[in-house]
Amino acid sequence: MKIFSESHKTVFVVDHCPYMAESCRQHVEFDMLVKNRTQGIIPLAPISKSLWTCSVESSMEYCRIMYDIFPFKKLVNFIVSDSGAHVLNSWTQEDQNLQELMAALAAVGPPNPRADPECCSILHGLVAAVETLCKITEYQHEARTLLMENAERVGNRGRIICITNAKSDSHVRMLEDCVQETIHEHNKLAANSDHLMQIQKCELVLIHTYPVGEDSLVSDRPKKELSPVLTSEVHSVRAGRHLATKLNILVQQHFDLASTTITNIPMKEEQHANTSANYDVELLHHKDAHVDFLKSGDTHLGGSSREGSFKETITLKWCTPRTNNIELHYCTGAYRISPVDVNSRPSSCLTNFLLNDPRYKIIGNLEIPLERAKDQLEKHTRYWPMIISQTTIFNMQAVVPLASVIVKESLTEEDVLNCQKTIYNLVDMERKNDPLPISTVGTRGKGPKRDEQYRIMWNELETLVRAHINNSEKHQRVLECLMACRSKPPEEEERKKRGRKREDKEDKSEKAVKDYEQEKSWQDLERLKGILERGKEELAEAEIIKDSPDSPEPPNKKPLVEMDETPPVEKSKGPVSLLSFWSNRINTANSRKHQEFAGRLNSVNNRAELYQHLKEENGMETTENGKASRQ
Amino acid sequence: MEVGVERGNGGLMIPPMDLETIAIIQLSVCILIGNIGIIFIMPTVVVMDVSLSMTRPVSVEGSEEYQRKHLAAHGLTMLFEHMATNYKLEFTALVVFSSLWELMVPFTRDYNTLQVVLVTDGCLGIGRGSLRHSLATHSQRSESNRFPLPFPFPSKLYIMCMANLEELQSTDSLDCLERLIDLNNGEGQIFTIDGPLCLKNVQSMFGKLIDLAYTPFHAVLKCGHLTADVQVFPRPEPFVVDEEIDPIPKVINTDLEIVGFIDIADISSPPVLSRHLVLPIALNKEGDEVGTGITDDNEDENSANQIAGKIPNFCVLLHGSLKVEGMVAIVQLGPEWHGMLYSQADSKKKSNLMMSLFEPGPEPLPWLGKMAQLGPISDAKENPYGEDDNKSPFPLQPKNKRSYAQNVTVWIKPSGLQELNRLRKAALAFGFLDLLKGVADMLERECTLLPDTAHPDAAFQLTHAAQQLKLASTGTSEYAGYDHNITPLQTDFSGSSTERM
Repeated sequence: MKIFSESHKTVFVVDHCPYMAESCRQHVEFDMLVKNRTQGIIPLAPISKSLWTCSVESSMEYCRIMYDIFPFKKLVNFIVSDSGAHVLNSWTQEDQNLQELMAALAAVGPPNPRADPECCSILHGLVAAVETLCKITEYQHEARTLLMENAERVGNRGRIICITNAKSDSHVRMLEDCVQETIHEHNKLAANSDHLMQIQKCELVLIHTYPVGEDSLVSDRPKKELSPVLTSEVHSVRAGRHLATKLNILVQQHFDLASTTITNIPMKEEQHANTSANYDVELLHHKDAHVDFLKSGDTHLGGSSREGSFKETITLKWCTPRTNNIELHYCTGAYRISPVDVNSRPSSCLTNFLLNDPRYKIIGNLEIPLERAKDQLEKHTRYWPMIISQTTIFNMQAVVPLASVIVKESLTEEDVLNCQKTIYNLVDMERKNDPLPISTVGTRGKGPKRDEQYRIMWNELETLVRAHINNSEKHQRVLECLMACRSKPPEEEERKKRGRKREDKEDKSEKAVKDYEQEKSWQDLERLKGILERGKEELAEAEIIKDSPDSPEPPNKKPLVEMDETPPVEKSKGPVSLLSFWSNRINTANSRKHQEFAGRLNSVNNRAELYQHLKEENGMETTENGKASRQ
Repeated sequence: MEVGVERGNGGLMIPPMDLETIAIIQLSVCILIGNIGIIFIMPTVVVMDVSLSMTRPVSVEGSEEYQRKHLAAHGLTMLFEHMATNYKLEFTALVVFSSLWELMVPFTRDYNTLQVVLVTDGCLGIGRGSLRHSLATHSQRSESNRFPLPFPFPSKLYIMCMANLEELQSTDSLDCLERLIDLNNGEGQIFTIDGPLCLKNVQSMFGKLIDLAYTPFHAVLKCGHLTADVQVFPRPEPFVVDEEIDPIPKVINTDLEIVGFIDIADISSPPVLSRHLVLPIALNKEGDEVGTGITDDNEDENSANQIAGKIPNFCVLLHGSLKVEGMVAIVQLGPEWHGMLYSQADSKKKSNLMMSLFEPGPEPLPWLGKMAQLGPISDAKENPYGEDDNKSPFPLQPKNKRSYAQNVTVWIKPSGLQELNRLRKAALAFGFLDLLKGVADMLERECTLLPDTAHPDAAFQLTHAAQQLKLASTGTSEYAGYDHNITPLQTDFSGSSTERM
């Protein structure tokens, strides 16, 4: 397929000279109501369209079909010719729709029958058409820019459809000569211009139209090459519906269209809503849609189309689709369609049925760059165990609130808080010695001991969080919290314990000052903890995700929602962090208990660890309860 | 397979080489096709000339004496071994022919490209039914007696000549064979032996065929940090977007990067250029080397496959997830070229990970908009699928509605005249001012016919409408503006002025 074939640019040149105001002599029945009414009413005199009206409505129908099937890259330029040329639109995509053309035509109005015929000529329009064909379209411009040194590959071809009332065959030849000469001249101009392109091929379609009942003064002539650049064909057509039929045939030829008739579509009767009758609807579309039919030899040919036009249509039987069946079907092509008879009730019934998708639609584009999606996939897959038995944390409901947000590009304060809560929750689980969903596949006996299980879990959680610490400073804070809370291997603990003794001495004076503050905050924390405990009981059953981890469950919000109701401790207590409350709480609780709770003692060390960590990194003084860690 | 071909019995007669034998290929393929579920295969039919001329000895300097058919057998063995290693799922048929054929079954199903490998020595025979005769009388054939080429389905015809170029050029054989390729719309190629006829040169000729038509397409499937080595099967064909402005065929990347996931309902059976199986492979095996791995490697390969089966593979995760979630993955195939990965059921129990290629371009599926603008949901200000997943942003509404989605006015048929303002607008555009006068007359007449019981407002409104139309029909007054709308006359019979028209 070529993008820049003749059908890329179509110029309509419609005659607007006085004789086009003449009647087409085909009556329009419009006083329909009279027939069913009481007698004694004299029907209004019949009216008929002018040659101009017939020409304009037929060309609009041509454009309607073309725009439906090729909303982009097939462009129309509409020119009206009388004492001069009136170019009604441009090649730009915004100008390419029926509404624009209709409004412009309304501004032009019908031809003035009293105008001086000597001043008026279709030639003005034809010259303007050649001129406009030399103008570059945005698509041509884009392709040329893209191809750089291969810009000459972008072709410039076009078609001029001229609807006029010619006087004779020699008059037609004169028009052809004029077009040829103009092309020659304008190609010379275009050769020296950056904004114009030389015409490589031009198809001139001259349509002579005349009132019904008159003899044609012009004879038909098939396509003939007048020069290597110009071909011309002449159609002599009676006005009225004959002209409309001709333009319909031409649009199909020019854009490689074919016809399909959908038969037996059940539709409710307008008069009797509970009965339905079967209708047929004829559609036009690109002929490629028929390629497979023709190959298979089964052409489904249903004879000539209903409109009685020359060509054949392929008939298909309607099958009401199953609406709730969401499956992928093998599809080799999808084609835009346009109903032949867009106003008819069966056509609009069918198109409304197809357009009224039951699902809600929003208008407009989402326009989020695809690169963002790639970015997100990158983040989500930084740590992604592929088999269930290789992961502990993704089998734990308790980890979901952290795992679902840590992959984000940036975290909110609330996200950080939720992550911290998740970590405290895990610490609490460890304290209570809750079982973990560690796989025992491939191991002998009962698998690793409980403290070993927690060590594995903490390691995995650390791996996950570490994979994201460079996302933002808040991610870093989650890691800090994790490192402060997680249980450590024994030898490490020993080292920390020694460090702690030194720190204790240093911190004693400061500690006294803060005792009051901490005591008060602690009451809030106790309340929070109570809520946590309650939430966890409800959660206990669902704690372990038994199902596949391939689609992370939405976080179980229940306990979190309850926690949200408590006033944020931080806000009321200034710079004292939740972490410090928690650490202190553990500390207090441990100090009350027996010495043999070595694990609890260790958690005191974690606090010491935090300050060391900060000292190393920032080289700044830190306080015992970790206030400085919050900056 | 039973296709009613007379099996060559080497040496009893010298039958003319009858290329109508190709008709047999059609029916053999249809037998193959009928047995399998989804047709994504690229079957190969090998058509082997076993006429007497194939038994002509080849003069070799060494001790053993070969006939041309031995060379052909050697070449074909190489091809089959290659396919056994790299195309385990492929269907291959061998048809031998001398002079007779019979049509058994017509086609019943659709399928992808068929590869036909014709092995011949280029002795085309003489008389009726010979290729020369068939080509000479080609233009005289009737529709019912159509020449088998071009095949009525996508195909590639590869002709493997057990002869060298000089030999073929000494007669018109090469021209005739070239005609065959031309008749097949240029789809195919002729291979001849370079240099003297010997095992080595036959091997190199078949090596060229393998490189051209049977090189497995290996790629790396990527999704963020997750990756898998895969074979895409059949090999994706290069695609030409526009023969004029971009004549260089596009080939797909060997890095297939997943860029996101979308509901099946949203992508809704899109048109595709081709469909391919995506098979996970264990790389770094000898089997990948063309023409080497023969029977000895089978054991190694099996154990390699067993090990591979125990390593978690991203393809398995992806396939399972797509199936469970009812989604497809959008995969980037190249610059402005995308495709989709999805699970396709083969039978009730079995399904496969498949990849379909969309047409290259920024917007292959208009209802999804520009591919480059499909971002993650989490980036949207408001979840486009709604909080309860009860809506969808797709299909996107076009900026300009199509004629059937708006109230266009077409008056070519009389039944097309509707509503006053639409009528007025269209009449002005079409320059059909008489219609406006006529309708105005009609409304005035209606006014005189109003029954006594009619609301007094009716008469006022009808007169008003008639006046407005008449004003418009003059074409000169301010009332003839295209965008001017006739509004109901403000009367005080009723408190509110209701739309009448």
